[in-house]
Amino acid sequence: MTRLVTHPIARFLARRLAYSAVVLFGVLIVVFALVHLVPGDPVRIALGTRYSPQAYEALRSASGLDKPIIQQFFSYIGSALTGDLGVSFRNGDPVTVILLERLPATVSLAVVGILIAMLIALPAGIWSALHEGRASDAIIRVASQFGVSVPDFWMGILLIALFATTLGWLPTSGYQPLLDNPGGWLRHIVLPALTVGLVAGAIMTRYVRSAVLEVASMGYVRTARSKGLSPRVVTFRHTVRNALIPVLTITGIQLATILGGVIVVEVVFAWPGLGRLVYNAVATRDYPVIQGAVLLIAALFLLINLIVDALYAVVDPRIRLS
Amino acid sequence: MTTAETNTRVSSWRLLLGNPVTVVSGAILAVIVIVALTANWIAPYGINDVNVPDALQGPSGAHWFGTDELGRDVFSRVLVATQASLRVAVISVVFAVVVGVTVGVVSGYRGGWLDTIFMRVVDVMFAFPVLLLALAVVAILGPGMTTTILAIGIVYTPIFARVARASTLSVRVEPYVSVSRSMGTGHLYILSRHIVPNIAGPLVVQTSLSLAFAILSEALLSFLGLGIQPPQPSLGRMIFDSQGFVTMAWWMAVFPGAAIFVTVLAFNLLGDGLRDVLDPKQRTMIEARRKQ
Amino acid sequence: MRSLVRHPFDHARRFKPLAQRVDAFGVMAMRRLAALVAVVALLVGLTACSTGQRVDLGGESSGNFIAAIAGEPDQLDPHKTSAYFSFEVLENVYDTLVEPDANLEMKPALAESWDVSPDQLTWTFHLRPGVTFHDGSPFTADDVVYSYRRIIDEQLTNVDKFSAVTDVTAPDPQTVVIRLKQPTPNLLTNIGGFKGMAIVQRRNVESGEIATRPIGTGPFSFSGQKSGDSITLNANPSYWGGPPKVSGVTFRFISEPTTALSALQAGEVDWTDSIPPQRVAQLRDDDSLNLAVTASNDYWYLALNEAREPWNDVRVRQAIAYGIDRDAIVTATSYGTAAANQLAIPEGNPWYTDYHRYGYDIEKAKTLLKEAGVTNTDLDMLVTNEYPETVTAAQVIADNLAPLGITVNIRTVDFATWLDEQNTGNFDMLMMGWLGNIDPDDFYYAQHHTGGTSNAQKFSDPAVDRLLDAGRVETNREARGQVYADAATRIADEVSYIYLYNPSVIQAWTTDVAGFESRRDGAVRFRTVELDQGRTQ
Repeated sequence: MTRLVTHPIARFLARRLAYSAVVLFGVLIVVFALVHLVPGDPVRIALGTRYSPQAYEALRSASGLDKPIIQQFFSYIGSALTGDLGVSFRNGDPVTVILLERLPATVSLAVVGILIAMLIALPAGIWSALHEGRASDAIIRVASQFGVSVPDFWMGILLIALFATTLGWLPTSGYQPLLDNPGGWLRHIVLPALTVGLVAGAIMTRYVRSAVLEVASMGYVRTARSKGLSPRVVTFRHTVRNALIPVLTITGIQLATILGGVIVVEVVFAWPGLGRLVYNAVATRDYPVIQGAVLLIAALFLLINLIVDALYAVVDPRIRLS
Repeated sequence: MTTAETNTRVSSWRLLLGNPVTVVSGAILAVIVIVALTANWIAPYGINDVNVPDALQGPSGAHWFGTDELGRDVFSRVLVATQASLRVAVISVVFAVVVGVTVGVVSGYRGGWLDTIFMRVVDVMFAFPVLLLALAVVAILGPGMTTTILAIGIVYTPIFARVARASTLSVRVEPYVSVSRSMGTGHLYILSRHIVPNIAGPLVVQTSLSLAFAILSEALLSFLGLGIQPPQPSLGRMIFDSQGFVTMAWWMAVFPGAAIFVTVLAFNLLGDGLRDVLDPKQRTMIEARRKQ
Repeated sequence: MRSLVRHPFDHARRFKPLAQRVDAFGVMAMRRLAALVAVVALLVGLTACSTGQRVDLGGESSGNFIAAIAGEPDQLDPHKTSAYFSFEVLENVYDTLVEPDANLEMKPALAESWDVSPDQLTWTFHLRPGVTFHDGSPFTADDVVYSYRRIIDEQLTNVDKFSAVTDVTAPDPQTVVIRLKQPTPNLLTNIGGFKGMAIVQRRNVESGEIATRPIGTGPFSFSGQKSGDSITLNANPSYWGGPPKVSGVTFRFISEPTTALSALQAGEVDWTDSIPPQRVAQLRDDDSLNLAVTASNDYWYLALNEAREPWNDVRVRQAIAYGIDRDAIVTATSYGTAAANQLAIPEGNPWYTDYHRYGYDIEKAKTLLKEAGVTNTDLDMLVTNEYPETVTAAQVIADNLAPLGITVNIRTVDFATWLDEQNTGNFDMLMMGWLGNIDPDDFYYAQHHTGGTSNAQKFSDPAVDRLLDAGRVETNREARGQVYADAATRIADEVSYIYLYNPSVIQAWTTDVAGFESRRDGAVRFRTVELDQGRTQ
């Protein structure tokens, strides 16, 4: 048991976990402050155009908005630790439930998107690296720059216009859960996931390429070749397999990035995920939902980064010891 | 300036110009910038000349990019919108550079608790879903060009801080710096002679790339209705407005999007080319290849 | 997403060269890969399990009707909301004592019959027996009294409709007596024109749940709401008008009209009113759907804030009325589906009055401005993304008024903020619409009477007040018509509103749908719809 606790990886993870917790706390403070600075009184908005002062006061104290802001903050943290993120101002549903309802849509979009990205980036990046300096490498590099430079909402709109509205092959919007209707799920997710995946794929291609290049120039590859192994064997076995680790970490990072920025694709495709939830919640000043959603996204973000760092630590002892 | 530096300077330019992609993108950018600066003069029509009977006309001799749903000339609007985009991008990146580099250099140079605090704050900002941060700033201060500039500026400050700090750190540990200090040289002198030139390279690259992302961010915020407000034209908003007409007036969506795409691409390719020259590791690879 | 990414540079530094032990690494890499695959599989599994009830897209039960509307209700309390989207839903959840039929004549609903006293001051309503609320509790006269008293005592949104009411009592569980202070010919439309005067349940109100989980007596009961996505209703088998022929209704919120239309064409929704007007011409020829373009009693208008200078000067307001190109606005916002109108009541309506004083006349506008001494001025125009026609029109108007020296600053906000700004008087000019009007009093009183509940522009004219008050008590149909004609003319002459146009109600549904009728008041009733085939969605 003591061996486990003092194991360097465990210690490293513990440090990173503590660090992430601190950062998450910082995020929470920032979100809370920002959300409460947004103008527009949620009580007034919830009550509509005509209401009595008593009704106003009643709703205000029921929502806890009449307490000093520091107190509101700490009571929020207190309940958050027990899993209670408050209730939505709009419809009174517990925020946790709302978030869990919207999570599958965003996660499926992110996952399918990243899969598409990997399908593009891995072959393209590896090919590009192995043919470094040649024409096909240049083409792939420029093509990936194209992908990075395209505005994703523009691409989404054009994809909808082409495949959904004009050709009618795919639906323009909406989401269907996988278990209800696998065919429908697939048809609905193709265009948004393509929008996400093509762009992420372009970014990842460049990373894969540079990772493979680094490994390929490593000494042990040359050693392996001098041992008499054929070039192709050396390539696939050593170069690619070892480049896989940084590639996996990039995948993790991209996944996290996608989660953070999926709002606009969700808006274009009317996708009922966390991104659109935040966007609508900001419009209606639904504080608890905004706070909860941003917290969840930040937590996922940090979690993925933590996993990535952990992978790294396991693999590269030098990072662990720093 | 040492002889080595002079030599490096000369061959930097040659390397830069030897890369066709960089040259082309630099040229395209130059054209875009000139067009944007002169937009108000060269635009054939007013940006808000509503002319409903002429609505939804395709590209023609009179309207190179066609007309939109209110009969306004798309070409003129794209020109002025590009100018707005560039303005937002440049000002916000300048903000980010000034604030970020100051924080990064001070942080890296002084070290200690100041460094720790600054970097923790930067970490929080990085952990923050960045689009949401921009959304929040705009939601608080109300939509519009000024808040967009502020939001994008704030969002890009951390990366400049990190780049500046990393470069500062790498120089600060150099022996000649501690030797200078022990000789009594002032901080400012060290900063300007040793640190700043070292930062310059990565900074230039980062600036080009951040300009690209800033243009995309501005388009994104305008698309969501949080950026430049109508009737001021903005590329993102034009794409938003085109959604209802995309099957009957494709030019309303294609041209504004293409403007964003080409500009961002040019900045990205230029940044790549600059990095090839200014990032030592890349540089050695390129030079090695040239020698072959 | 990628546009605001952490910059590549940051992680470039992480790519340190790997250690030397090749084979062990290969094995570790394989294990890591396996771990990643496991994580991905877990995530996909997570996404496959949709949590919560699968209420949004109909689930298994065939016969669920899916309607796509253009926005989300701000709340579901019928006495407090004024949003059209809310009423699209509430129309199917609540009842009033009487309700309009297809010709907008008032017919029995929760009240089976009624008597009026000879002096016209006492109305006695005999309620329908055997009606229950969605939770099973019985509907009685006490509920009517409670509902009306709530509106009156708490001064809720539609309290205006009860301005002539002095007393509401329930002598027995099946009877409601309303006493008035003056004869009120339009009492029936006042208490039943739309669901803003619906009969609510006391317990539902007192528990505070009414805004989010309403309980009514209507053909459908509230089942659930997914914020930003949809609201689901279930059929009420014990509805007094007979059970609906569909098992439930799901209202999906699709704000982009092109998206809604594509969903309809793909069969993902059965009905929508979120239709881009520019596509109407092409849709008329589309055999795969039913399209209805119905002249409606709705109208769109501009209002200038008379509490601010220089808009308190009638000449300035008239200048603006002359300075806008109404036809261009109508074309740009409706593509020929709307009718320009300088008053509120549309042609074809029995109360219509012809009025066309304000042609598009820039010279006249300039003269008036000069007379009023207004040269260059700014105008803060308040519009909202919730109703994109306001944003479109604003741009046309900005262009129209520029040559007059008026610089229009368009302020686009979300609807909640828009309402706030309107109510606090923080605007120079706004554009909005009033929907679902039936009686001429609906069209004019609340908006133009001094102190009217919807008089945000602070218009006050004693002559108009007199006429509107007179119209409320005039029982002679012809005389009443003349009163309102005079009132409307004066309202337009004094520019309380600048009326723009009457839009059409544009709705479309698939060929599988039967039993739906488009209504002139825009009320959306699904109690009689049926779906022809069994549906797989």
